Amino acid sequence: MTEVVQNIAQPRVAQPHITVGNLNLWYGEKQALKNISMHIPKNSVTALIGPSGCGKSTFIRCLNRMNDLVKNCRIEGKVLIENKDIYGADVDVVELRKQVGMVFQKPNPFPMSIYDNVAYGPRIHGVNKKDINGVVEGALHSAALWDETSDRLKSPALSLSGGQQQRLCIARTLAVKPRIILFDEPTSALDPISTSRIEDLIMNLKKDYTIVIVTHNMQQAARISDYTGFFFMGELIEFGQTRQIFHSPKEKSTEDYITGRFG
Amino acid sequence: MVRERYLQQLDLLKKSVLSLGKMSELIFHDSMEAVIDLNVELARETLAHESEVDKLEKGIEASVFDLLALQQPMASDLRLVVSALKISADLRRIVGLSINIAKIPGKIEGGHIKPLIDTKRMADIAAYMLENSMKAFLTQDAGLARATAARDEEVDKLFYSVWVELIEMMAKDTSIISKATYLLFLIRYIERIADHCCNICESVVYLTTAEHVKLN
Repeated sequence: MTEVVQNIAQPRVAQPHITVGNLNLWYGEKQALKNISMHIPKNSVTALIGPSGCGKSTFIRCLNRMNDLVKNCRIEGKVLIENKDIYGADVDVVELRKQVGMVFQKPNPFPMSIYDNVAYGPRIHGVNKKDINGVVEGALHSAALWDETSDRLKSPALSLSGGQQQRLCIARTLAVKPRIILFDEPTSALDPISTSRIEDLIMNLKKDYTIVIVTHNMQQAARISDYTGFFFMGELIEFGQTRQIFHSPKEKSTEDYITGRFG
Repeated sequence: MVRERYLQQLDLLKKSVLSLGKMSELIFHDSMEAVIDLNVELARETLAHESEVDKLEKGIEASVFDLLALQQPMASDLRLVVSALKISADLRRIVGLSINIAKIPGKIEGGHIKPLIDTKRMADIAAYMLENSMKAFLTQDAGLARATAARDEEVDKLFYSVWVELIEMMAKDTSIISKATYLLFLIRYIERIADHCCNICESVVYLTTAEHVKLN
């Protein structure tokens, strides 16, 4: 698996969960990702940072083939999850997205009850009716939302606050038992207290899941991640342990970005 | 320019530390001149500078807290801010020790018990170390910082040699114990000043390379 990752210094990773090798992506004529290679370690939080338009969200969407839905998008290279190429011909994309859940910038609960939001995924994946209650409760507990919602599970999800809605979306993702969770700027629309709760939640979730988070908030990346990758103009400029990246980055452009010299 | 005000604040912090360094060099130089010549007037002038140093050091401390709380510096900026705080604390101790030196002339009457040749040599090396540790901070030169700290060994050797000499003199002639004790304090203060210069050099190495080293 390591032979696919050659073009950038990699941190020592005991157990890579995701391996990306020479990944290139074009939107029409425009190349948005250039030769990205990295090992994303298992049961850890990996943060992706970089200025707007650098390709970090495009990259994260490659990890569960969300870019398949974009017209004129062309991808080359390899993305291996647990050693299996997710762009292989035999891959079931629905099953892949069940394994690799995603939480977006803006909370997007379905216009239904709190309970039904969480139960939606397990139901369509065929979980037994008698097991659904347990799955919903478990997911709400894991998303640190159970105490606030256990007495109003039938209330509309849209009656929750923004922070609660985002945790509901996380519970909805957890309910289908993914192995990996992708977060695309999950707290950028939230207040500091809600942000702090989501950050604590992400740090707790890493013992059971591999987490990749795109964030514009560098303090957030520094606080919650174990590894950080810096993207710039479609390239992965530097990837390493978060402490090293924020303390003594090797590349000048990483240093310039995280110290606010540009971006 | 992105974060222009922030960059100005960092620049001002660096300049303030350099100013504190210059003041420390001057105070140490004058205190040594006052003690060697037993010049009470110069000693009194030197003592008067302590409040300016306090003001500058407090200003640096406030700037550091402002930068940490309001700007959240990262990477080399964070190292600069942390180093500025540590270096200013070392400089403040150097000034404190120099002030102790400047208090000695008022306590010694009728001249020294011996020519202060090795003591002056110690002080010259310590002054060199202070000047060059601050130069290393200005130019972010880890090599100069390491070379500067290496001279602490010479100061330590001279300290022990003068120490033994003074103890022997006191054993032979108990009437000089009071004056000799002040000289023991003096060499101890100079030796500690050289140690603080080593700490500054360690901060410079950290600032430039992100490595924590022990140079003393």
